[in-house]
Amino acid sequence: METDIQNKFSFGSWWGMLKKKEKILLTIGAIIFLVIFYIALDANKYPATVHAIAGEGKVGINPTTEVLDFGDLSPGTSAVRRVDIKNQTPIPMYIAVFRFGAVTDLMKLDKNFFVLRGGEEAKIEFTVYMPASAPIDKTLNGRVILFKIPGPWR
Amino acid sequence: MKKLGWFLLNLLIYLAIVALIVWGLPQFLSWKLGTQYPIAAITSGSMWPALKEDDIVLIKKIPKEEIKVGDIVVWTNDKGFTIHRVVKLNPNTLVTKGDANFAQDPPVKYEEIVGRTVYWKDSKPLRIPYFGYIAVISGKWRGGQK
Repeated sequence: METDIQNKFSFGSWWGMLKKKEKILLTIGAIIFLVIFYIALDANKYPATVHAIAGEGKVGINPTTEVLDFGDLSPGTSAVRRVDIKNQTPIPMYIAVFRFGAVTDLMKLDKNFFVLRGGEEAKIEFTVYMPASAPIDKTLNGRVILFKIPGPWR
Repeated sequence: MKKLGWFLLNLLIYLAIVALIVWGLPQFLSWKLGTQYPIAAITSGSMWPALKEDDIVLIKKIPKEEIKVGDIVVWTNDKGFTIHRVVKLNPNTLVTKGDANFAQDPPVKYEEIVGRTVYWKDSKPLRIPYFGYIAVISGKWRGGQK
């Protein structure tokens, strides 16, 4: 009796019960899911942070490579951080940068949404400018996610 | 035949709803807020953090006497429209400044004022985040730019 139940719910028998159209749709769905999963997993994720300080023309640097840390900035000053990306595959990659959080309101990118051909390198510059209305002594945080989507891009 | 009739009726209702939103809403706001330009999309960070890039705000026409220091007003100029905060009132002009800017703007004549932002609560401007992006893109398309 137990064996019967196991057979009834095994993948093979379940797959066999599906129509051809359903199998095609499921296969396409599974491929799309895997591609999205791979792109999300392969994305570069950087926490971003900047601290607003009082004064004029004051810039404090906190060097680190894992975080887009713009350090301490007083109103009217700006800091630049660069991210180097290299496409080590022969497949062109579509680069898309998405930003979230409070710091992104003050952040500008020199380029976004572009194609990086196989073997090419690129630098993306992130600039944070501290405006006159900056909240002094407050740290603004955020997150930058850099997606690399392989495809037949031109 | 009956099915086709229902389909056409539904289609007509959907089209009417879309037309009402696209055409009717700006017309209604224009009538309600008393200005030809009742909606403004924020295209720069000069008013950060009160207004952020890609926000949409509603503009209400107000008489000269009701304008106060601290109000966020829209005025017309050679570049189009500017939305900044009032910092000083003079008899014939007013002076504005972007919250994020260090310098004040040149004086603006009262006749150039389109209106003031509609407030939410605690005198905070009512803003709809991100919808300005759609307005800017659609504006570019209408203008034939890419």
